[in-house]
Amino acid sequence: MRALEPPRPHGLAATTRALAAAAAALLVVTGCGAPDDGGDGDQVRVGLVAEPASLDFTSNDGAAIPQAMLSNVYEGLVELDEEGEVRPLLAEDYERSEDGRTYTFRLREGVRFSDGAEFTAEDAVFSIERVKEEWTIGLADRMDVVQEATATDAHTLEVRLEHPSNGWLYAMASRIGAMFSRTGVDDLATDPVGTGPYTLDTWERGDRLTLQRNPDYWGEAPQVPTVVFRYFQDPGAMNRTMLAGGLDAIPNLQEPEELGGFTPDGGFRVAEGTTHGEVVLAMNNDEPPLDDVRVRRAVRHAIDREALLETAWGGHGTLIGSMVPPLDPWYEDLTGVHPYDPDRARGLVEEAGAGGETLRLRVPNLPYAVNSAQVVQSEVEKTGMDVEIESLEFPARWLEEVHGAGDYDMSIIAHVEPRDLHLFADPDYYFHYGGEEFASLLEEADRGSPEEQVAKTREAARVLSEDAAADWLFLMPNLTVAREGLAGLPRDQVGEAFTAKTLRWEEEG
Amino acid sequence: MRPVRPRRAPRRAVPPRRTGAASLAAGGVLVGAVVATALLSLVWTPHPPEAVDTGAALLPPGGEHPLGTDRFGRDVLSRIMAGARVTLQAGVSAVVIAAAVGVPLGIAAAMAPTWLSRLVLRANDLVLAFPALLLCIMLSAVYGGSTLTAMAAIGVATVPLFARLARAAALPVLASEYTAAARAAGRGRVAVAVRHVLPNIADVLIVQASVAFAIAILAEAALSYLGLGTQPPTPSWGRMLQEAQGLLSSAPLLSLWPGLAVAVAVLGFNLVGDGLRDLLDAGGAREG
Repeated sequence: MRALEPPRPHGLAATTRALAAAAAALLVVTGCGAPDDGGDGDQVRVGLVAEPASLDFTSNDGAAIPQAMLSNVYEGLVELDEEGEVRPLLAEDYERSEDGRTYTFRLREGVRFSDGAEFTAEDAVFSIERVKEEWTIGLADRMDVVQEATATDAHTLEVRLEHPSNGWLYAMASRIGAMFSRTGVDDLATDPVGTGPYTLDTWERGDRLTLQRNPDYWGEAPQVPTVVFRYFQDPGAMNRTMLAGGLDAIPNLQEPEELGGFTPDGGFRVAEGTTHGEVVLAMNNDEPPLDDVRVRRAVRHAIDREALLETAWGGHGTLIGSMVPPLDPWYEDLTGVHPYDPDRARGLVEEAGAGGETLRLRVPNLPYAVNSAQVVQSEVEKTGMDVEIESLEFPARWLEEVHGAGDYDMSIIAHVEPRDLHLFADPDYYFHYGGEEFASLLEEADRGSPEEQVAKTREAARVLSEDAAADWLFLMPNLTVAREGLAGLPRDQVGEAFTAKTLRWEEEG
Repeated sequence: MRPVRPRRAPRRAVPPRRTGAASLAAGGVLVGAVVATALLSLVWTPHPPEAVDTGAALLPPGGEHPLGTDRFGRDVLSRIMAGARVTLQAGVSAVVIAAAVGVPLGIAAAMAPTWLSRLVLRANDLVLAFPALLLCIMLSAVYGGSTLTAMAAIGVATVPLFARLARAAALPVLASEYTAAARAAGRGRVAVAVRHVLPNIADVLIVQASVAFAIAILAEAALSYLGLGTQPPTPSWGRMLQEAQGLLSSAPLLSLWPGLAVAVAVLGFNLVGDGLRDLLDAGGAREG
């Protein structure tokens, strides 16, 4: 029976273990950075947070997928230039008919998919129809306006719309317009096939995604042969890996307070641009008490957004008052619609009889959201309502429960898609807003002349703000950090994609 | 997890070392300090630990805020004090869950027929096969992050430790003459387990509990650090570490305080466990 006696650790061993435990606690504090895995001119290592859950953006939401795939592996007929304007890409040029309902694209010849198949107008028809028939993400509704797409010859595509639409061509520059091979859509989640300057080399889940230069690319070959996207759950670890030399670029720094650590003396270049990333305090417009516009307005009046920006994001970013960033032509400063006014907020809550209600603030466990949530909680609780914070794992759990099932009262997330005002028009989308005046304004804007589009969209953004369909806490800045010598990182983030083909190492000199 | 192995024979031959009392005293002081802080925070903290004041963010230590303020202008000292409460709560609940499930399971396994005993042990191995932290992450992901799920998860993950230990310790007791006598006198199984086995294995279990407590504190800190444990704005040391991490280069002291607190508490409980074991060992040696 002796053999089964309980183990009794030797005293010294246990003390060592105690010290090890203490050391472990301190390791958490110092957050050991990852080791340097060496940098050279043959590759660019890009640090990102929020890894894609799959590589298939036709059936998975989440901005990380087009960020890595679009314009690198996949290309569209058109793309956005640095200013955010539409320009031809796989189409050599395009024409819009007098009535605005027919677009004729003349496609480039000699373009091949990475599986060897030639890109023809048939593939374009296939890709467009596939959005309507097979795509399951919310944004797929941008293709609903297409009545018919036909290949008039191998390199001419004609698209007939139900009605004139300004938004459609713009959407074609996003993931919606990505061109797929008719023979390459069997395994989109892991094996993307596109015409882009890069192809997928390896994807090590939880760590990195490696792109290799496409030797058969139709256009000018990118200068950098290998691009590695390294994904970090923890932005702090990402920053320290950058400082330790394990990364060459961070296109969007996630801990703005750390910006000061990247000095020119240390061999870093930093820049601050802007994005389409509206940090939205979403409110469930369907559920009491937030179905009452007075309560929603109270929430907006309660929050000191300037202090929030300072606290949550180190003061970097822009205050906006609606779902429109200054990058868009219809931007208007709406920050004064519901200014910070705690007394007014308290009065509105009282008037609506919402005092004592508990609001569930269910946020993704991302730094900007958790930081903002604690300020929002403290401010909104001063109106007489209670706020309960729950931080949910992002992306899977938050997407499923809040974004998908709408099980929340308030949430905080950055909506990074360009020109995504229309999300509010869908009453089934998790905001559950769908104001009729707003929806009809957007529709008129889409069908009207370019001048009408600007005027009507501006009006719609104002209606949205006055209805307090949500609160817009701030607009994400684009804080880029690059190693000295790396050029070609865009200053502003105008689209969904992180475009790697413009990256280049400058000659030492 | 330490493998079950025979006790090294020479251990009995050397005279019992007298380090037990010193470890116990040192550990007692550290643990006492943590407990006292937690109790004090129930009635008094210098500032409300959750009160946001964006105007007073990131103040350096000194004056009204002895340890400074965090990004939200909350008093760090008050949060460390209130955090001690969450930490102790997590530790106590985890150990209670683990012991309450694990010990009866272990004793039952020792007394049961071989096949049942094997079944229990294999089930134990199954739980053990998952690293404790992974199990915690899994449970927290399914049931949502809160102090409660973190405690339950840590507790469940620690059950096998107690079950194996209790079974191993109970076997020699069950083989002893006095239990045989009790059985012969007509005592039921449950009575034997409660009256004879449990008191005789209590010393081992207490030592295990103090070590498990230290592990639970670290696990709670780790889970909260990952955003799967205590929810904001409730202060827990792990959460405070997580929040401070983003400010590591601009306000490094913010990471130091909760890190030190975790180290002190873990060290304290480990020392208490060490000391207790040495003392109880020495007692056993004298009796033998």
